[in-house]
Order: sequence, then C-alpha cells, then structure tokens
Amino acid sequence: MKVRTSLPIVFTVPTLAVLAILAFVPTIDAINIALQNRELSNPDSVYIGFANFRALIDDPRFLNSVRVSIEWEILTVVATMAVAIPLAVLMFETTPPNVRNALCVLFIVPALLPRVSAAFVWRFAFHPLFGLAVYPLKLITGHPVDLLADPHTAMLAVAVVDVWQWGLLFSVVIVKLLETLPPQPLEAARLDHARTWEVHAYVALPMLRGALISLVFIKMIESLRAFDLIYVMTRGGPGITTETLDMYAFSQGFIESGRISYASSMAVLMMIATTVAFTVLWRRVQRWQEV
Amino acid sequence: MRVRAALAAAAGGALVLAAGLAGTANAEAVCSHDVRVLAQPRDGLTLLEKYKDEFKGLSGASFNIDYLNENDRRAKSRADASTVGKYNVYYIDEANVALFAKSKWVVPLLDYYPKEYDFADFDPGRQKVATFEDKVYFAPLTGGGDLLVYRKDLLEKAGIKPPTTLDEMIADVKKLHDPDHGVYGIALRGQRGSGANVWRWMPYFRGFGGKWFDGNTPVFDGEPAVKATETYLELFKYSPPGTKTGSWDESTGAFLSGEVALLVESTPLAGEAIDPKLSKVVGKVGYAPPPSPLTGGGYAHGLAIGTKANKDDAAKKCAGLFIAWATSKENEKRRLDDGEFGELNRTSIMTSDEFNQKFGADLGQALAETAKVTAVNFWQDPEWPNLGDHWGIELEELITGTRTDIKGSLDELNTFAKGLVANRK
Repeated sequence: MKVRTSLPIVFTVPTLAVLAILAFVPTIDAINIALQNRELSNPDSVYIGFANFRALIDDPRFLNSVRVSIEWEILTVVATMAVAIPLAVLMFETTPPNVRNALCVLFIVPALLPRVSAAFVWRFAFHPLFGLAVYPLKLITGHPVDLLADPHTAMLAVAVVDVWQWGLLFSVVIVKLLETLPPQPLEAARLDHARTWEVHAYVALPMLRGALISLVFIKMIESLRAFDLIYVMTRGGPGITTETLDMYAFSQGFIESGRISYASSMAVLMMIATTVAFTVLWRRVQRWQEV
Repeated sequence: MRVRAALAAAAGGALVLAAGLAGTANAEAVCSHDVRVLAQPRDGLTLLEKYKDEFKGLSGASFNIDYLNENDRRAKSRADASTVGKYNVYYIDEANVALFAKSKWVVPLLDYYPKEYDFADFDPGRQKVATFEDKVYFAPLTGGGDLLVYRKDLLEKAGIKPPTTLDEMIADVKKLHDPDHGVYGIALRGQRGSGANVWRWMPYFRGFGGKWFDGNTPVFDGEPAVKATETYLELFKYSPPGTKTGSWDESTGAFLSGEVALLVESTPLAGEAIDPKLSKVVGKVGYAPPPSPLTGGGYAHGLAIGTKANKDDAAKKCAGLFIAWATSKENEKRRLDDGEFGELNRTSIMTSDEFNQKFGADLGQALAETAKVTAVNFWQDPEWPNLGDHWGIELEELITGTRTDIKGSLDELNTFAKGLVANRK
C-alpha cells in the first residue's frame, strides 16, 4: 500500500516544484520591485512601501489604460463569439463536408500568422492612401479615411484584426463541435417544425454550453495579451486612446522613463485584478451550469 | 632510416611553422568572440555586412547586427544596457547619448578607437552631438540638419519661388495643396516620440525663441511653444492622411511617391529623393535651407561601446576596433560609391569631387547653407527622452483631436518637468 500511495508524490512533486519556481519567483520579484523606487538608469533603490500604488490612483493615464483594457476585453471577446457562432452555424447548415473542410483550413490560416506579421499586414491595409481594406470607404466618402488615426475608430480597426484571427479560428472549433453532436435531438426539433435558428439557439448551442464557455475564457485570457497587435498598429494611439494597461506599463518601464518599479506596480495590480475577476466569473459560470 | 628521419624532420618543421603562424595569428587577433550589435536599419550597415570577412581578417572574429526600428531600438537598448548587457555595441543617438553616458551604459569611445582611423575627420557638428561632458561616446553613422525639400515642377507651375520665410512657406503650402489631384501641401510627423513628432515641432519652438530650461527651471511653457504648436497644427491640415500617426517613413514616403509639394525634413531625404529605387520624383526635387526663423534639427546617430557586455579592456578594444572599421574612410567610400547620401559623415568624403559629381553642386550648396542654421533643438539632458516622449504623446493627442487645450497641455508638461528635476535632486 505504501508504494502505491507514494508514487503519485514521486511523480507530482518535482513537476509542481518546477511549476512553483516558474510561477512564484517572477511574481515575488515583481511584487518586490513594485515596493521600491527602482529606475533603469539608477541602480540604487530603496523600499517605499505602497507609494507606487498610491501614485497610480492619481495618474489619469493609468485610469485611462484601465478603462481601455476593459473596453478592449469586452469588445474583442463579444465580437469574436458574435462572429464565430453564426459563421459556424452557417457552415454547418449550408456547406457539404468537403467544402466545409476546405473553409476550415482557410479560416485557420489567419491564426497561424504571427501576431506581429498580421498587425503589419493590416496596418498597411488600413493605410488611408494605399490600403485595400479602406478603399471602399474612400470610394463611398470621396476622401481618404484614416481609421487608425481617428480616436473613434482606432480601437475598432485593431479589434477587426483580432476578430479576423480568433473569430475565424473559433468558428472552425465550433463547427467541429457541432459535427460531434448526436443528430437525434436536432432531428426531433426539426420534426416539431422548429426553424433552423431555433434548432441551434434552443437545442444545439445549449448542448455545447460548456465548450462555448471554455472558448470564452480562452479568448478572455488571449485578449489580455494583445500587446503586440496594438503596439504595432497604433502604439497606443492616437494619443492614448488604445493604450492598454500592459502597454502603459511597458511604456513607463522601457520607453519613456525607465521607471520599472512603477511599471511593476501596474503589473502586480493587473495580476490581482485578473485573478479576482477570473475566479469570480469561473464560480458564477460553474453555478450557472449546475442549475 | 634516412627516409624516416627526413619525414620526422619535415613533420617537426611543419609543426614549428604551424605553431609560429598560430602565434602570429593570436598576436593579431583583437577579438576573441563575434561582436554583437544592436542597431536600427541603415543602408550603410546592410552594406557593411557584405564585408564581414574583411573584419574577420582584421580582428579574428565576425559580427552580428540585430535590427529594430528607431523607437523599438531605443526601448530595447535601454532595457538591455541597464540589465543583462548582451550587446557589445549599441546604436545610440542625440536623444539618448546623455542618458547612456550618465548611466555609464557606454564607455568613452576615444579610449578604444584606434588613432589611425582618424576620428577628427568626422563632421564637427556630429562630433559635438556625440560628445557629453567633454567626452566622445559614439562614432557617427548618420547625421546632419534639416533641409527644405520641394518639388521644382509644382512650384514652377504655380509660379512661386522656394520660400525663404515661414510665412511664405505657409502661404505656399496653402496654394499648392490640391488633394483632389493627389498633391498635399506639406508632410509632417504626427507619431508620438522625442525623435518623431517632437523632432519636427522643435524647429518652430526654437525658431520662435523658445527655450526648454533656465537652469533647473522649466521655461518652455510660454508664448513660443503655444505659437509653435498652433502653427504645427495649422500646417497639419495640409499634410497627407496617414501622417497624423506616422513618422519619418510615412512623411517622406508620401513625398517620394509624388504626393507632397514640399517639406522640411532631415538631410538624408535629399539622398533618397534622387535614388530611383526609392523615389518617383527623381529630377523634380530642389533643396534649400529651412525657411527663417526655423532652426535646423541638428542630430547624429552612431555606434558606441557597451559597458556590461565588454567586461575587460580586451573586449572594449575589440568593440572599438569594430566601430572604427565600420565608420572608416574605406567603408564611407563604399557607401559613397553605392549612392548612400544619408550614410556619409566624414569631411574628407563630403568635400570630395566624387561627392559633388554624384549628388550635384546644388545639394552641396544647400547643405553648406543649412549648416549655418543647424542647432541642437532638444534639451541636452539624460531626462530628455522622458520629457520629449511625454510631450510627444500630448502633441499626438492635439494633432488627432483627442485633446484641444494647447496651453493646458503645456502646463501639464511643465508640472511633469518640475517633477523630473525634483526627482533628480
């Protein structure tokens, strides 16, 4: 019996130890730096308690970046699912298997592109004079449209690229999930004269509820890491209208002032906020699923 | 036996010879490892990479250059130099030489720059920009001031002469602006950054008599800065779409593709405008000094010896040799032969007959005249990137309309500047 009980420990302890080191060492270091006044250009630093955190509350640019991050998170997650689900249903209902498979391969391609490459391609596509993506707008309005320089459209333009990558990929995942569903409940609904959208809204998609929620969580985590996309396309501009929290932290740490302690305090706050938010959401979703 | 003895003697002789050669090679090998360089893309550096074997023969090692665009190069070099110090050589510039020197992330160059490479031959203005607290920190790869670059054909057609004053230039820009026929009056830089929008704004600020600091007191928050910003925003109405959040590439790209009538830009544009690979306006371009009272934005970029990656004197000598070779007369001559106008920095090259033959006497004359109004427009302080980038964001907001209060923005910058000075104390 002893041998049986100790084996799991033998296997799990080294792995957990490695994971703990990888997870906790940088985290503790970040917290440690956040409590100091360290700057890149000055190796000497002292502990200043929570002064960096207090300064954040009075920093309008920080508050703006929090707002932008929340807007970005909601916009991209909602838009991705809003594109992915109808597209998947459309493919499932209207295309024969061989066409559907070909479309799936095509829809995976944007996600295979490195983010930075995709961002550069789209930045050029949005160029007001030469860009292909804005050419129809130029024809309609009669003058060049600079979406990335307009504070009202810059975030939407960047979100289009995000959804282009993730919305199409998720539509492939969802169509494959739909294919795995048993056909009987769907056929039963059709026999009861349910329309196509009703079959999916009330039967198919509720059956995929768990998987769809997982996809939403994956996208939420992914949207938090959109730094490279935004950095290449707008650098947080125009002004600070697309400056997310991670971008502002990077800017403070490495571009403008080299205030790495201040930047670390933002990273720590972001870590705490996301951990709390995800825990609360996860628990609510679990309760909702149990109902 | 005789044969064996002869073979043994031959083998012994060969060994001695090989050892001797190895000894000679070791004595000449200045570098024990390949030199790692962090830079931003430059035609001159790309050309340099074709001659890696030459450097290897000279030093005993090769070199590898990692390229990042200007803003990213600044961020990466700052992060690297202050932490791990992976690069032996950094590409630094007028905006961060003070920060790098003050923080001791780079060492004084001339201690390790071999005398035979003749540092004194570099353009005196660029030597000045490369100097901080009486010590030279980098060898120039590029530099200069500003030029008014204009389309001769468009100005002739409109019956106007190249402007010599700012008022004339503004009037000409309005007259030449014809977007319906694909011509914009001027091209400016709107993208945030001390080396981007702020760089192009500063000639107006300094031209109107603006000053950054008086001792430790910020004094920029006055009429010259307000007037400069108003003028810059007014001119932006005539700048092509894409430049509001664009920088050098977008601004000069619009001119080179034939969509801009005139612009005031850094001198390398003159070389690009006559290069058929880059320009659609070859043969249609004229040059003049910036209209009065605009000052030319004096600048220089170059290579410096990193402190952390070069732990001992031998490593610093190796990095110094690489910089000297990369910026040598021979390599500048190669750049001249290749038509790389913006990559030339040595007086001996820029005053040569070959230079005049290649780029024309007009350009030589414009360069000589613009040198008279070239000035250091920025605040020469380690905190300059911090202040300049902060103003760059506010200026981008003003240009794109997310903020409208010019005086309020400058007041905000003033408070920020006071904080910078207070922190330094």
